[in-house]
Amino acid sequence: GVFAHLELLEERAYEAAVKQEEMEQQEEKLARLKTRVQELRLQRDELRAKVDLQQKGQLGKEGAVSNPAQPSARAVLEWKIKSLKAMLQIFYLTGISGKLSKRGVCFCISTAYEGTYLDSFHLDLLTKPEVQIYRHSVPIFIPLQQIAKKYLQTDIRRFLSVLSDHLNAYVGRRYQADQLQEHFSGQIEGTLQRNSLCNLLVFNYNVSSESKTFPFNVRLLYGDPCCSLPTEVVISCTPDAPAPLAEMAAAHSDLFRRVALHKAFRSFGSAGERVD
Amino acid sequence: MDETVAEYIRRTVLKIPRDEIKMMLQKWGFLSEAQLETVNFRQMKDNVSQDVVQLCEENSADIKQAAVLDIIYNNIYPNKRIWSVYQMNKTGEETEFFDLTDFKKKFKRRLRSALKNVTINFREYEDNAIWIRIAWGTPYTKPNQYKTSYVVYHSQTPYVFISASVLRSNLPLLCQALVIASNYHDIREMELRSHSLNSLKDIVFKRYSQNFQTYYPRPLPERNVAPETDLRIIQENRNEKERIQRLNREVFGDGPQPKIEFAQYKLETMFKSDPKMDVLDKKEPFRCLVKFSSPHLLESLKSLAPAGMADAPLSQLLTCIPQKARNYFKIREKKGLLPGSFVSP
Repeated sequence: GVFAHLELLEERAYEAAVKQEEMEQQEEKLARLKTRVQELRLQRDELRAKVDLQQKGQLGKEGAVSNPAQPSARAVLEWKIKSLKAMLQIFYLTGISGKLSKRGVCFCISTAYEGTYLDSFHLDLLTKPEVQIYRHSVPIFIPLQQIAKKYLQTDIRRFLSVLSDHLNAYVGRRYQADQLQEHFSGQIEGTLQRNSLCNLLVFNYNVSSESKTFPFNVRLLYGDPCCSLPTEVVISCTPDAPAPLAEMAAAHSDLFRRVALHKAFRSFGSAGERVD
Repeated sequence: MDETVAEYIRRTVLKIPRDEIKMMLQKWGFLSEAQLETVNFRQMKDNVSQDVVQLCEENSADIKQAAVLDIIYNNIYPNKRIWSVYQMNKTGEETEFFDLTDFKKKFKRRLRSALKNVTINFREYEDNAIWIRIAWGTPYTKPNQYKTSYVVYHSQTPYVFISASVLRSNLPLLCQALVIASNYHDIREMELRSHSLNSLKDIVFKRYSQNFQTYYPRPLPERNVAPETDLRIIQENRNEKERIQRLNREVFGDGPQPKIEFAQYKLETMFKSDPKMDVLDKKEPFRCLVKFSSPHLLESLKSLAPAGMADAPLSQLLTCIPQKARNYFKIREKKGLLPGSFVSP
């Protein structure tokens, strides 16, 4: 009767309300999607303009006029790959790579000596308010603060280049000293005196002459912190040594100045240094 | 052989754990292999040391040689002493050519000119570390071999690690000798102390792992790895846990932390309270000392947030320890030097 009728009406009202809500939701969604499409279209136009500008810039330099139609996606990709390869090539050749960080840049300096990769050192730089070193893993005996004071603010490329020179030279000197101790310990008398920077080496080694062995004392001073060869070589022998030994000392002294330390010793072994 | 030398050797050998005695004596090199073979190292330490003293008697050991054994012991067990870090300064910019012979000569000369009764020993190690052992005497007494200072110095660095003895009065002389010998101008004590010498070196030489962002590949997390945990266990706060892990990693890095045993904060800040309470009549700084102790303080700080005991990120006052190379702090009001942080009641 009446109640059944009321129930029916209630049901219908309820269904109508649900439908209404659904429609409203649909409209909202549509509006949202429409705005999104607008945003994306805007972005696309901006990017297109950028690519156009770049192309025009390049063409402007060449002085040729090519079709200003938008570059294909493939061309863009190829350009990206090319510039990435160039970047990696720079990293590989210089050993210096960088990555933008939250507050600045993080550089990594990789060192090598004659084809052998050695240590890597890191520098975390802040760029605001001015360029400064936030933290680093450079050894304490490398004059980082001095180099930074000279170049960091004014010429960051030079700063990295000079620092890289210092680090490469240091690991190069250290490598030579390590190689000497590892492979030629038989010829060295006593201990090899060195220091943290490996810029002063003092040791004694044996040379043979007339089937007798004589000790040479050598003092290698590496005056240039960016160089892995000594600037000063002093070889001395005992007073009772025969005269030809002085010639040998001079020859060795010259050799140490030109050739890596372990390679010089290798040449002693193979040449069978003998003075008769 | 002098009785005091014999006694000193005997006591030094007694300090060494029994299994290590033979190895250390070999490192010492004062007794020949043949002599060492005659000692039974499995008997009681008392007897071992007596035998060793007997052999040293045969070789007529003097105090300088006995001192070398002491250096070897302290080099292998440096954590039995507390080490302080000192920093030297110089104004010149020329490259340093550190000459070891020159350094030793200057150091000895400076010390001996001020104090005749000292025993000085040097020993160099592979990592360019120079160990110096000094036994102090007075103008009237012979050096006391049981009250020694140790200095560890890496050439061409501005840092010196000193484990002073009880006789702190000799510290200024020691510092002066170091400055002169290493061609620096002055020296000051840093606020950095620990039992772990290697950790102190890690901190000042920046050898601990800092998380540098580089392009060097890190192993990517596997995407389709089957989850190891039981699927019935649901991780409620996964996002929060991951956030904490990420922050922790940024601050502490991936590797092991340098080992320090305490951090001390001396507070000289004003007591902040409800104005109505008016606890203190005079407006004076409320002096307070907060000390954190742990067998391994930095590791425990690192595990605080993941264990849910503290909020991440941790206070900078705690996390700046390796970077600032200090574990003794003075906290003043915000206008002061340090990233001010108040301690509210």
